[in-house]
Amino acid sequence: MVAISIENVWKYYGETVAVQDLNLECRDGEFVCVLGPSGCGKSSTMRMLAGLEHISAGQILFGDKRINELAPKDRDIAMVFENYALYPHKTVAENMANPLRMAGVDKATVTKKVLDAAKLLEIDHLLDRKPVELSGGQKQRVAIGRVIVRQPAVYLFDEPIAHLDAKLRARMRTELKHLQQHQGVTTVYVTHDQLEALSMADRIAVMHDGVLQQFGTPAEIYSNPVNTWVAGFVGEPTMNLILTEVATEADRPKLTHKGFTIDLDGQLGEAALRGNEKALRFGIRPENLKVSLERSPGAIEGTVYTRQLLGSDLLVEVETGNDHFRVRTSPAFEGEVDRPCYISYDLGHAHLFSAETGQSIV
Amino acid sequence: MQKTLRAKRASFSAIEEDHGYAARRLDYGPGALNEEPKRRYHILLMAPAILTLAAITIYPFFWLIYMSLHKVSVARSDRWVGLDNYARLFGDVKYTDGWLLLVKYSALCLTLEILIGVVLAVILNGSRFEKVLVTVFLMPMMMSPVVAGLVWYYLYNGTFGWYHWLFQSIGILGETSILADIDTAMWGLVIVDVWQWTPLITLITLAGLKRVPQDQLEANMVDGAGSLRNFFTVSLPNIYPFLLIAILLRFMDNFRFIDHILVLTGGGPGNATRILPVYLFDVSFQFFKLGRGAAIAFTLLIVTIVLGLILVRIFDDPKKQVASGEAGETTDD
Ligand SMILES: Nc1ncnc2c1ncn2[C@@H]1O[C@H](COP(=O)(O)OP(=O)(O)OP(=O)(O)O)[C@@H](O)[C@H]1O
Ligand SMILES: [Mg+2]
Repeated sequence: MVAISIENVWKYYGETVAVQDLNLECRDGEFVCVLGPSGCGKSSTMRMLAGLEHISAGQILFGDKRINELAPKDRDIAMVFENYALYPHKTVAENMANPLRMAGVDKATVTKKVLDAAKLLEIDHLLDRKPVELSGGQKQRVAIGRVIVRQPAVYLFDEPIAHLDAKLRARMRTELKHLQQHQGVTTVYVTHDQLEALSMADRIAVMHDGVLQQFGTPAEIYSNPVNTWVAGFVGEPTMNLILTEVATEADRPKLTHKGFTIDLDGQLGEAALRGNEKALRFGIRPENLKVSLERSPGAIEGTVYTRQLLGSDLLVEVETGNDHFRVRTSPAFEGEVDRPCYISYDLGHAHLFSAETGQSIV
Repeated sequence: MQKTLRAKRASFSAIEEDHGYAARRLDYGPGALNEEPKRRYHILLMAPAILTLAAITIYPFFWLIYMSLHKVSVARSDRWVGLDNYARLFGDVKYTDGWLLLVKYSALCLTLEILIGVVLAVILNGSRFEKVLVTVFLMPMMMSPVVAGLVWYYLYNGTFGWYHWLFQSIGILGETSILADIDTAMWGLVIVDVWQWTPLITLITLAGLKRVPQDQLEANMVDGAGSLRNFFTVSLPNIYPFLLIAILLRFMDNFRFIDHILVLTGGGPGNATRILPVYLFDVSFQFFKLGRGAAIAFTLLIVTIVLGLILVRIFDDPKKQVASGEAGETTDD
């Protein structure tokens, strides 16, 4: 219901820098995921948005309004906390009713809204319990319930479904996304689970060590990671990132490695030569590789290192010249451990990263 | 919108059922429950403590009952009078007035101490001077009640008392000392008690405030609460058990400690401050009617115990602790 601009925001805790020079624009009604590993400053960003933490430098705008100085209650936000933050002396129903009661909503409406939210979250049978009598996942759903009973300008979710089991988590992803789209409430959603971010977000902000790495749509983040860090963090199983040397043979660039050589052409070739770099990281996702027991021209030769079944797919790790390629293939693949095998690839899906800076050079 | 969501839900559960992997439930129990480990030796370990306690509390208790049923005097041997001592209490105006005054005194002290104590604690909590100020506040508490009484006796004094002069200059008091006027004497005592014991409430409340979870305060702020609202809906329910302990301690002390009253007014002027414990003191140790004194003491003891138990009950009852910030819900036990 309002656009959010985070402009040159820094967060210091004493000497520690939790967030560095963050710039983010969330459009009105957009679902933005802040994705990053533990300790990268996601919660700090969230808490600054909520007004629970002082903004050390820079400013945050809701619409055109600077909100640095606004108290949380005046920001029209609703937040799910990482650690639930339920009121232990209140029942589940009272917990969920709290924001409505603060807003002075009449009793009948409160009861109805709480019941609706509880049904949606499948906690309607727990309404009379106290938080101590709930499991972690149930607490988390109460915390979500407390947020979705009303329709604020901004939803803030700090890892709201991290403690649910896989099945329920998948359900909640759909429900939250659905709810958000229906209500059109601008949402900032913090998670360390890249799958969650990819599946829910309109745009993802990937953070690492307090620095924003990349901000873009899930497709952009997935297919055009700006650096090796993003490439390695997003996607499961992770992208293969193999260190290779650049060489030229008859003016044609190629990547050499102890186990293989890759001839580059077209765009990739130009890019490889442009930077004059000696070493590059060759990146390709496991699903863009094919493994076979039969030799084919240009294929990388290696031996099967492990086989891991991922439900419908098989993850084969292939050792070649001290490095490993992860390949996603069908469980029908017959290669046993230590058998020689051949990996073929499509350069259209390949990425090149500078070995020094880690930045994508394509 | 709700409709579509609900439809979605229905389809979800349908999927779950279709798969047919509803969890298998056992509908029978184990043949026999394993015995829980017993701890017998702890009775043995506690025996010496229990016996000592019995000797120092139970014996005097029965001695009190014995005295209350006799006419006890120092010179002659005790004479059995049955319930006579008790029967005579009902016709004793000083006794009934003593109760009324005690209730008034105790209520005034408790209310003021809790109010001021909690407000002080909230102001002090997290302030820069917290440590220094807490130490300063502790001083009255460390003073013996008799000494406190004497100090205030001088401060209140009609001719050279500094406070008397202060009150007089503001126009609250006339010529007579606060303690010499029937209308104000009680207030004089209440002020001393509040002065001496509010710090205790502050201290206990501070300890409670330190344990109010920050995340609940934050969640409540995001839910739309201002700081005052935050205090009543989150802090207060959290410090409520601490406050109950403080109330329990203070009310029992009010029923027992009369040191400063004896120093300041001795029950006067007239009978304006002769609260029941003071009257009890007079009967027993001024007029040496030990039997009657014991009867008064016994009634006082019973009421104290009953009130104390009620408070402890409230304290133990988890439902009462809900309180949800609205005071009053807690006291209608
Ligand atoms: N109150 C604080 N005082 C000092 N340092 C803090 C404080 N809160 C967070 N930090 C530090 O700031 C950095 C970022 O913390 P933050 O809580 O934002 O991480 P996060 O991305 O939310 O991690 P997680 O996924 O584990 O929740 C961390 O290095 C952390 O140690
Ligand atoms: Mg966090």
